[in-house]
Amino acid sequence: MKHGLVMDNIRKWVPFLVLLVLVLFFTAVNPHFLSLRNFARIAVSSSPALMVAVGATFVILMGSIDLSMEGTVAVCAVVFAMLLNRLGGSLAHVGWAAIPGALLAGGVLGAVNGLIHVRLRIPSFMASLSMGFVGVGLSLLMTGGNRILIDDPLFRSLLTVRFMSFPLMAYAALGGLLVAWFIQDRTTIGRNFYAIGGGEELARASGLNVGRVRVIGFILAGIFFALGAILAVARLGIAETETGTGFMFLSITSVVVGGTGLAGGSGGVWNTLVGVLIVNVIGNGMVVVGLPDYLQDGVLGLLVISAVYLSMDRRSLSFAR
Amino acid sequence: MTDRVAWTERLRRHFPWITLTTLVILVGITDFNFLRPDNLLNLAADIVPLLIMAIGMTLVIYIGSIDLSSQSIANMATVLTTIALPSFGVGSGLLVLVAGLAFGAVSGVVTTRLKVPSFISTLAVGGIALSVGQFASGQQALHMDAEMRRHAFGWMVGRTAGIPHELIVALLLVVAAWFIQGRMTAGRTFKAIGAGEPVAVASGIRVERYKILAFALSGMFAAIAGLVFSVKLSGGSPTLAEGFLLPAIVAVLVGGTPLTGGVGGVVNTVIGTMIVAVVRASMLYLNIPAMGQQIFFGLVLIVAIASTIDRSKMRIVK
Repeated sequence: MKHGLVMDNIRKWVPFLVLLVLVLFFTAVNPHFLSLRNFARIAVSSSPALMVAVGATFVILMGSIDLSMEGTVAVCAVVFAMLLNRLGGSLAHVGWAAIPGALLAGGVLGAVNGLIHVRLRIPSFMASLSMGFVGVGLSLLMTGGNRILIDDPLFRSLLTVRFMSFPLMAYAALGGLLVAWFIQDRTTIGRNFYAIGGGEELARASGLNVGRVRVIGFILAGIFFALGAILAVARLGIAETETGTGFMFLSITSVVVGGTGLAGGSGGVWNTLVGVLIVNVIGNGMVVVGLPDYLQDGVLGLLVISAVYLSMDRRSLSFAR
Repeated sequence: MTDRVAWTERLRRHFPWITLTTLVILVGITDFNFLRPDNLLNLAADIVPLLIMAIGMTLVIYIGSIDLSSQSIANMATVLTTIALPSFGVGSGLLVLVAGLAFGAVSGVVTTRLKVPSFISTLAVGGIALSVGQFASGQQALHMDAEMRRHAFGWMVGRTAGIPHELIVALLLVVAAWFIQGRMTAGRTFKAIGAGEPVAVASGIRVERYKILAFALSGMFAAIAGLVFSVKLSGGSPTLAEGFLLPAIVAVLVGGTPLTGGVGGVVNTVIGTMIVAVVRASMLYLNIPAMGQQIFFGLVLIVAIASTIDRSKMRIVK
């Protein structure tokens, strides 16, 4: 019993140790890795990914999964850019309304996702995967396959203005993370996510409206995907269907590598921060040590398999589908 | 009461081909040219790579799992075929086949031995296949030498008595898959696993081996799909087969193999793929843009899953 507790405690810190070892390793190979400039670069690539992964965390905490992010991010990015440009092109004037507009789009897509999953009783990975395809199609239809440029200096200051050598978008993402932490730890709905993930039948028997909580989880996820979309647009100054590409694999990898179990009920948004940093440190480090960055997908594939393997409580699992 | 249940159940089994016939008649009424034999043959030849991938996917869905790596494996296969062609000739086909088999087997091992859910394990293995494809191609589109292509795979293109050769290849593969599914122990075991995995385990079947086999076969079929596609387009690139995953899953489910497995099978998927092909063609006739197709198929997928899934197998829907 005692032994089990010690093991659990060690297991909790494994992702963080992995991150430390990675940083030390890349620094040893190339000392330029350990510089403020490079860390700022990692922060820029991590910020949009962190928001998307945090959204996915809520859903995974419930033991479900959301694979719709590529579509949702694309739609939200396009909605944001179109609204901003139509409302005068600057956040300083009425253009600010593009931000709530994009968040609303994310929330609506999340709600549709959650309702399909709960009402039609379809496994969430398939419901959300289908909705992801629909979202990609929708964003293509809206843009006609074109790119939308954004040159509002105020909006671009998220990338261009630095405070203590980190761009503003890193602080924006940090703010998002704190909000997510508050939702997770200090609100009823956050605790309900854990209750469902820990044991759905028990949660239901205690009188929890499981379906409603699930839908809210998917709505929250959609809103955070929208935040990720806005930061992704800020990073490149472009909104297009491609804005969402790659987020599915990256964010799911980040969440599980961070130590949030796919079975639900364990982990949280801080784990996801560590996971996102691990994924982005690997991506950045491979370039810094001179490896082609497309090897990243392969390395992440291996990483995700080992992370899921290590985190799963196989005692309660007789077979996997 | 039981009569009514049996009646709807019986109708459900015939639903796929009724849908197909209705669609063909509907499109035929709007444009009679659609029904001309050469048009139908062209239509069929066009979807051969998709059909092959969907056939492999069927085996995995049949046992109640899913394979999200097919598209990446097909992508990798187009690259590997193109690269290996100059040195191995027709042997490059065999090489690609083995590579697909190996990647599929890895998905199977990870799913069964490490108990990682199949949608995650295949997603991860897909990521690895994508990397291999990008690495091998140097992230660019490659082209086959026309003479070498004719020499090694010339038999795959062209027509005999008006029938495209790819169609014959596809037919042989369908027959092979159908034979595995219907006439071999492996196929019967797949059905047992799909119908109820715990029962299959309890009856002493070595379920893990057969599951790995299903994943390996799916990987192999995905690789063959990539091979045929790259011969068809005379080249390879790590994104060549992009856009195959959604229609492949749609084909399996619309054909009547539910996500929970156990019923349906290869022949169903042939009908499902034809439905996908007719819908695509009719969208061309109706001038619906390509992006509209993706939205439509995404929605069709949701409806198909919702109407075929066997909810008695899922106490909790996660």
